[in-house]
Formats: sequence, structure tokens, C-alpha cells
Amino acid sequence: MEDFLVGLAPPLIKGILLGGLYVVIALGLSLVFGVMKLINVAHGDLVILGSYFAWAVMGWLGIDPFLSLVAGVPLFFVLGFFVQKFIINRTFRISLDAALIACFGISIIVQNLCQAIWTPFNRSLLTDYRLLTFAVGPLTIQLRYLLDFIGGLAVMLAVRGFLRRTYLGRAISAASQNEPVAERMGINPNRVYSFAFAIAMACAAVAGVLQGLTFSFSPTSGSPFLIISFGVIILGGLGSMAGTFIGGMVFGLTQTLGAYFSGGSLLVQSIAPYLLVFVILSVRPQGIFGR
Amino acid sequence: MKIPRLTTLVPVVILVLLALFPLIGIPLNWLNYLFSFFIYLALATMWNLLAGYTGLIMLCPHAFVGLAGYTMAIGTWVGVPFQAGLIAGAAVAALFALLISYPVFRMKGIYFAIGTLVLPEALKAWFSFWRPVGTAYQGGGAGYAVAGVAGFTLGDKYWLALAIAAVSIFVVHIILRARLGLGLTAIRDNENTAASSGVNIFRLKLSSFLIAAFIMGIAGAAYYIHNPRIQPTSGFNISWLLLPLMATVIGGEGIEEGPIIGAAIVTFLRFLLADYGAWSLFIQGIILVVVVVVMPQGIAGLLRQVGAYRLPLRLFKAAEAKIHKT
Repeated sequence: MEDFLVGLAPPLIKGILLGGLYVVIALGLSLVFGVMKLINVAHGDLVILGSYFAWAVMGWLGIDPFLSLVAGVPLFFVLGFFVQKFIINRTFRISLDAALIACFGISIIVQNLCQAIWTPFNRSLLTDYRLLTFAVGPLTIQLRYLLDFIGGLAVMLAVRGFLRRTYLGRAISAASQNEPVAERMGINPNRVYSFAFAIAMACAAVAGVLQGLTFSFSPTSGSPFLIISFGVIILGGLGSMAGTFIGGMVFGLTQTLGAYFSGGSLLVQSIAPYLLVFVILSVRPQGIFGR
Repeated sequence: MKIPRLTTLVPVVILVLLALFPLIGIPLNWLNYLFSFFIYLALATMWNLLAGYTGLIMLCPHAFVGLAGYTMAIGTWVGVPFQAGLIAGAAVAALFALLISYPVFRMKGIYFAIGTLVLPEALKAWFSFWRPVGTAYQGGGAGYAVAGVAGFTLGDKYWLALAIAAVSIFVVHIILRARLGLGLTAIRDNENTAASSGVNIFRLKLSSFLIAAFIMGIAGAAYYIHNPRIQPTSGFNISWLLLPLMATVIGGEGIEEGPIIGAAIVTFLRFLLADYGAWSLFIQGIILVVVVVVMPQGIAGLLRQVGAYRLPLRLFKAAEAKIHKT
């Protein structure tokens, strides 16, 4: 029994820490989903774009990926604002399906832009601290997973503070809770959408760095992140930060524990999150917290 | 003798002309592009049936294509000829559609879209490890070659693809003029009202889903006769979703001739941008976004709006009247 627990500890810790990465990705997706009820299917690709941005800056100026966020976050923010303003808001006026298809268009554009500029080869953010591990008591913890967790916690607290303390944040919360009423209180929905998308993209920039440190990436590796973060949202519920956080942990644990109990099978590790999303959707077709 | 109407005559004449192409010795490259055009056309027509007429934004064509292609490829390894494998593959795709129908039809709108998007990803992961036949050099990530297709000439493949495309258009044409089509558009416009008017929503959705899965499967398997090697990354590639989606949206969603125009444009773009690699899809993505923003009805919708069909139709009618008079 004791052996069993000792063996179980590493995947447990790794899963929980990895969950932080999914939290950052899911927060961006959930802000847009909250206000527009639209799943931005390009979100996974935008995360990968964030990874490539950090990778390019690192190769070009030789600065640390986290430092590159000083430029990356504002850049992605502005880019997101204009993408929403000129593409998605216009299609959203036509129908939700049109907006979904526009997001698909953005996904194609981002994927192939990455592929055209940076070739389809696998890359990773090769910092010197990427593979560091350290011991806490009997356990070894990999630094990159710990960074995921810290990043997830930090972004979550930042977004939570923003949503609670600032006017714009409250406007976004109001619009996601009840848009017609929010509009009557003088909130301009189009503006709210634009800022929500801009913040989502800023989250994608951060997630890109964490993702690039944790895994290797190629232009097409965004779609698993889209599906996992969608799963995190439906599991954790909209507008609930704690729920999103727990959802992220659950998906991290699904992967690591799935791999552990199947004897390190890569198949289980990659297929388990998809099955979890599909099962949740089949059992609760509107998401666990959907009305 | 009853003289056939020109509106039925013209498609038949076009079909016959297209069928004659391999016999009159047109360049092989053209046949190749037309082959792709027919495959895209069949996929887009089926996607249009679901998205445009049933209101199901279905994001798993690559599941059907991959399953059908794999069924055919693995079949050729155990002695099933690929002709039978083609049908078996389509049947497996339809069977898969039947299996997932109950859970996915519980999901609505965007949940349905994402619910279907998950499936091909899961299948891709599964097929990356699965090795039912063959040695360590086949199966898994390496995929399977389709055996025994060497004797099947380009002309044969061309006719097969042409037949699939023609049948898919004909099937949608018939459905839209039958009770089924009426029920489907009712579901698209308002599901609750349709249900309260006595439309059996589940059964109708299922019928269109199964038809689409079967024809998408057969079209995908036909593609893998022409490119006789299937890997998880090609069979379950998201481009099998993007092609029909782009063709349908650019051409005109929910319009019968939309996928034809759209598939022609997508094929032509592929031909035009063949030397530019990833930039080709990049430009197609931009065109998709521009079309959605500027003309959400697609090109066919725009043509209808400006009345571009009026003149040819009037000429048709006049010619018809003249023929009937003599």
C-alpha cells in the first residue's frame, strides 16, 4: 500500500502542476465564451502563436521567454482587440455560426502563417532552466511544471482582480451574466467583446510561453489545447475562477494518472482528455453548469 | 416523344461531357485537379446538407474520411479488394455516425460543434498506436498502404470520383424536394417549433447525418485509392474539415449550387497556389474570413441577390417554349 502511494505521488503532483497551464489557456477561452457564447476555435492556435513569438524573440535577441512577454502581452492584446473589432464583431452580428466559421478562418491563417514562417518542424523553448528538477522531501519536482502552476495561479488571480476591481472587468462580468440588462445599464457590448478578446489573446501569449517550456510544439499542435481548455470550462463552469482552476487540475490529472495506471501508455495519455470531454458533453450536453 | 426540360437536360449534358474527358486525352494534370474537385464537391455538398439545411455545424468529416480510408486500406491487407473496401469503408463511417448519434444529438449549437470536433482527434490518437495487421513497419504512426490499386488507371479513378460527386448532388437534390428536406429545414429554422409540429427531430437529423457520413466516407476512401497510403495524420487531418467548410461558406451555405461554386474556387486556388506551400492555405484562410465578413451568403447568394440567374433562366424558358412549339 505504501509503495502504491509513493508511486502515485509523482503523477499526482505533475498532474496538478500541469493543470496550471490548462487554467491559463481556459481563462482566455472562457472570457470570450462568457460574453459571446462563442468558442473561439482559433484559441489553441493563438497559444501556439504565442509560443512561436517567444521562440522567435529568444532566437533573435537571446532574451528569456518570460521577459519577451513584456512585448508579447501588449502586442497580442492589441492584435486581439482589432481581430475582434474588424472580424468577429462583424460576423457575430450575422449569426453565431458565421462567427464560428470566422474563427476557423483565423485558425487556418494562424496555423499556416506559423508554418510558412517557422517551418512545420517541432520546436521548444530551450532555456537553460527548462529541465531543472529539485527535491522536496522524497519527491522530485520538475521546474517547468511548477512554472505552469505558478503561471496559472498568477494569471487567474490577475484576471479575477481585473474582473472584480475595474469598471471594464465588471462590465465584462455583467455582460456574461445577462447581456440585455447589461446593455440597458449603458454597457456597449461590442466594446466589451473587443476587450474580452484582447485579454483572451494576452492570456494566450502567457500560455504560449508556459506551453513552449513544458512541451515541444509545431504549427498544428494547437487543437488538443483547444479541446482540453473547452473541457476545463464545461467542467469548471463559466465565471467561476475556482471552478476553472479545479477543472484545469482535473484535466492535468486525467492525463498523468491515465498514463500512470496504463503503465506509461502514450495512447491513454493523449486520448483520455478527449474521452473525458466527450463523456461530460454526452452526460450534460449543456456543460455541467449550463442552463 | 416527350421532350425533356432543359433544366434537367443541361446537368446531364455537363455530366456526359465531364465523363468524356479521359477519353479525349486531356492533360493528366487536369484530370488530377478535376479528381480533387469531385472529391471536394462530394464532401462540400454533404457538409452543406448538414450545416446549410439541417443546421448542424458538424466538425468531424475527418473522422468519416479517416475511418473509411483505414477500413479500405486494412481490408486490402487481409485480402478484401479495394472496390469492396470502398463500400465497406463508407459503411463503417455510417456505422460510426450511428454510434455517436445519440450522444452528439443531445448537444446543441456550439456544444454540438465542439463535441463533434473531439471525435476525430480521439480517433487520430487511437490510430497512431493501433496496429491490427502488418509488421512493425506498418500501422501506428506509419499508416497503411492501399494494396492492389496499381491496375486502376487515372481514368477509372476520375470516373469513380465523378460518379460520387454526381450522386451526392443528386441525393441532396432529391432530399430537398422530399418530405425529409422540408423537415430538415424546419429543424434548422426552429427546432422547438419543428418538434411541436410533429417533426421527428432525432430521426430526421440521424438520416441526414448517416447519408452525409456514408458519402463523405466513400469520397474519402476514393481519395485514398488515388493516393494509396493512409496515416493517422493524413486520414484524420483537419483539412478534411476545412476543405468542405471553406468550399461551402465561400460558395454559399444553404444554397444548392453553393458547394459547386465553392469547390471549384477551392480547387482553382489550390492549382493557382500549388507552389507556395503553407502560404496557399494562409491565403485561403484570408479569403474565407473576407467572404464571411463581406458576403455571408457566399458567392451563390450574391449571384442570386443581383439576379445573375435571371437572364440565363429566361433564355432557357424561351428556348424551351420554342422547342415545344415546333
